[in-house]
Amino acid sequence: MSAHQTVNIVMIEDDEGHARLIEKNIRRAGVNNAIRHFLEGTAALKYLFDAPDGPARNGPALVLLDLNLPDMSGIDILQKMKAPDSPLRRTPVVVLTTTDDKVEIERCYDLGANVYITKPVNYETFAQAIRQLGLFLSVIQVPDPEAD
Amino acid sequence: MQNSQRRANRAIFLAVAAGFLMLGVAAVAVVWAYQRSQDYGQLVSHTIEVEAAVADLNRLNERIEAARRGFLLEDDPRFLETFEKTAAQIPVQIERISELTSDNPDQVARLSRFRTLTDRYLGLLRESVADKQAGGTGVKAQSLLDEEDITVVQQLRDLSDEMSIAERRLLIAREAAEHRSVYVSTIVAGVAGCLFVLVAVGTIWATRRTLRALTTTGIQLQGLNEDLESAVAERTAELQRANAEIQRFAYIVSHDLRSPLVNVMGFTAELDAAIKPLGELIDRVEEAAPDLVEEETKFAVREDLPEAIGFIRTSTEKMDRLINAILRLSREGRRVLALEAVDMNALAVSVVDSLQHRIDELGVTVETEPVPTVVTDRLAVEQIVSNLVENALKYLKPDRPGRITIRGRKTGGRVIVEIEDNGRGIDPKDHERIFDLFRRSGAQDQPGEGIGLAHVRALAYRLGGTISCESSLDQGATFSLSLPMALAPQQGAQT
Repeated sequence: MSAHQTVNIVMIEDDEGHARLIEKNIRRAGVNNAIRHFLEGTAALKYLFDAPDGPARNGPALVLLDLNLPDMSGIDILQKMKAPDSPLRRTPVVVLTTTDDKVEIERCYDLGANVYITKPVNYETFAQAIRQLGLFLSVIQVPDPEAD
Repeated sequence: MQNSQRRANRAIFLAVAAGFLMLGVAAVAVVWAYQRSQDYGQLVSHTIEVEAAVADLNRLNERIEAARRGFLLEDDPRFLETFEKTAAQIPVQIERISELTSDNPDQVARLSRFRTLTDRYLGLLRESVADKQAGGTGVKAQSLLDEEDITVVQQLRDLSDEMSIAERRLLIAREAAEHRSVYVSTIVAGVAGCLFVLVAVGTIWATRRTLRALTTTGIQLQGLNEDLESAVAERTAELQRANAEIQRFAYIVSHDLRSPLVNVMGFTAELDAAIKPLGELIDRVEEAAPDLVEEETKFAVREDLPEAIGFIRTSTEKMDRLINAILRLSREGRRVLALEAVDMNALAVSVVDSLQHRIDELGVTVETEPVPTVVTDRLAVEQIVSNLVENALKYLKPDRPGRITIRGRKTGGRVIVEIEDNGRGIDPKDHERIFDLFRRSGAQDQPGEGIGLAHVRALAYRLGGTISCESSLDQGATFSLSLPMALAPQQGAQT
């Protein structure tokens, strides 16, 4: 995943337990990249677009996005990231959420989500899915953010 | 309001009836008066006729007297001729008068006297004429003026005058009666006419008022109707909103319940994974230094922890199933129904086919009797029937061969589908409860969460139908699904 520059994983997930389980299972898949975790959308947006060490200013990143956030919908974040003039429009976004509503899934892909994964409720499948995601993350190529 | 309206209506009806009665009375009075005046005219002409006839008779009497006197004076046979002709006419004239006055006994009596006198008079005259012909003078008395016939003639004249006067008097009396009755009938007709006009005016007024009231009522009714329609539309929209709200609520709740559940299960798995190294550690320590390991620790790691984790796991799994059931129900409520004519016989057969394996295994006889076709959502009906047949298979009584019957019939605009079994039956007190979510009845010896019938009922309601159960313990059960023959499209719209 990291050829010349480390790819940061930004995880936006309001459930700490989920976040911990996701992180654990990604690590179990052998992914060692830094993971930044945000519990709510505002802080995550601020980091994504404005932080000096954030993806917009500094190096490639990959976003794991939950749609059910306390302060906003993950869709809003997705929309801002995939806007035509956004520096993060090429940054891969993996939507990882409990919703398996068909309309919601379509909407996310329409907005430019790269992957949509429904969190399985059964833990075994959940763990397996996250591990597979980890394997996937370890092989995909991530573009650099748009130079300002 | 209603009472006064009824009273007014009755008054109008009575007034109209009275008006017609008045009209009738006036008409009768007019006809009567007209007939009376006609009768009067007839009476007058009758009297005149009688008078004329009497006068004629007098004239004949005078003429015969004149003829006789002429013959006595001058023995000319022409006088005799006139005499004979007149003598022949007199009885005819008397006969005519008798015909005219036959209804009046007084006149009849007078006339008979008249007749006798006439006979005598004519006899006297003939005697006198015969005497003259024989060569005499024809006069028995001293002078012609002393002859007997003069007094007879006088009597005849008096009698005929009497008859005329009687007739006149009768006429006057009749005339007076006539006038009175015409007068009365005119007054009756006049009063009836006035009343009729009054009633007519009153009725027209009342009718106009009623018509106006009717128009007003019609307008009000139309307004109310429109109000009602909009009220129904509003209420329907409200219900749909409420239903949609509940669906959304169920969906969100079940979703949000799943999230923490992932944590519980995830970290339970982590715990489970942690037991393994811990157990190995205990094993190693027990081997190397048995004093270090207390019984309690060994028990905790080998027994307590796995047991606790096992319970957590089965409970969370159950909770997961329950949440999934709620989610499925809420999804079912959100699904758009696709209405079509569903061949229920084919549907029943396909349901039975899909369960054939279990049916054979349990040795159950399944009979499908004809079921009418229903316009509804195929998937939903299939789920209902399938669920009910599955239940029938599930709750058979082991000591008797199972028998399941699917049948249907039409009543009114609905189709009743019945699924009957001879299984263990359901206690009547549980007949409502079994349709509640997560509620079950009888011995809990079969797997299940108490979701099936709740789902069935939700589906039945969705299809505009109802589901009911008829059963008693050990007597089998009959589930009746009542569906509208053709589900209206708006009922099937997404709520």
